[in-house]
Amino acid sequence: MSDGDALSAIIGKPTSKSRVVIERGPVTNFAIAVCDHNPVYRDSKAAEAAGLDAIPVPPTFPFVMETWGRFAEIQPEDAPRGNPMGEVIGPLMAKGGIILHGEQEFEYHRPVKVGDVLYGEGKVVDAYAKESKGKTMTFVVTEVAWRDETTGEPVVTTRMNIIHRA
Amino acid sequence: MGEEKLYFEDVKEGAEAPVKSHTLTRTDLVRYAGASGDYNPMHHDEVIATASGQPSVFGHGMFSMGLLGTALTDFVGAGNVVRYRVRFSRQTWPGEELSTKIVVTAKREDGGRHLVDLECSLANGDGEVKVVGEATAVLPSRS
Repeated sequence: MSDGDALSAIIGKPTSKSRVVIERGPVTNFAIAVCDHNPVYRDSKAAEAAGLDAIPVPPTFPFVMETWGRFAEIQPEDAPRGNPMGEVIGPLMAKGGIILHGEQEFEYHRPVKVGDVLYGEGKVVDAYAKESKGKTMTFVVTEVAWRDETTGEPVVTTRMNIIHRA
Repeated sequence: MGEEKLYFEDVKEGAEAPVKSHTLTRTDLVRYAGASGDYNPMHHDEVIATASGQPSVFGHGMFSMGLLGTALTDFVGAGNVVRYRVRFSRQTWPGEELSTKIVVTAKREDGGRHLVDLECSLANGDGEVKVVGEATAVLPSRS
């Protein structure tokens, strides 16, 4: 199998299934860390005054929400084992090169808020390689679609473009 | 800080959001590492960073996107961003003054929602772009 076949073989493969709880402390702390001192992130009355029914999260918080909210006892039992991205990037890294975070995207279907429990399913949406300035750049794009655990409505979709350069 | 509500009718194509400037410190990197859970030592351990050939520790790409996101929500209001995408182009270094640039590129209505499209970027004092991308926000209408 050529490298190109190995890449196209992972497109569509699942990468994750998880549940996260959005808690207030990590949200407030994260807002401060991105220099955001808007009171809506630390005062529910300020959030209410801004027309929100709960404390919202800063736009990039979904990137880190699994770090704090992935409670062990609520994880789906059928989560995929292993990660197809690792199957491709692992052998490449063994030969050298560096990993870069090329692009990041968030699509919000409604605001993510404190108190939410979200269910996310991830998959590889694209994988390809190209030559650039004498280097081989391998791109893997993954996406996680997060839904409201209770209502099933879509909440936020995150897309990450990882590049291996060697 | 999002306290004065921005209405769709008040925004013009070509208008720019207030610039947010911030001089990056090592404390910012430590705080972001703690708040994100990203403890890659290249972002907080000077000894490891310099041993691997870097001039110093450097900023998390997601800190840059987060700082630019703060300027974005300061402008359009928290909870109003419907899409936000960036490409990471350069590393950020402690001591650099990072400034945001957010420009309204289009206004449109879609399914009764009032949307604005924005171009956004973060650059240092020499104009070197660190992250560049675009966003869409839904704004309240006076009508």
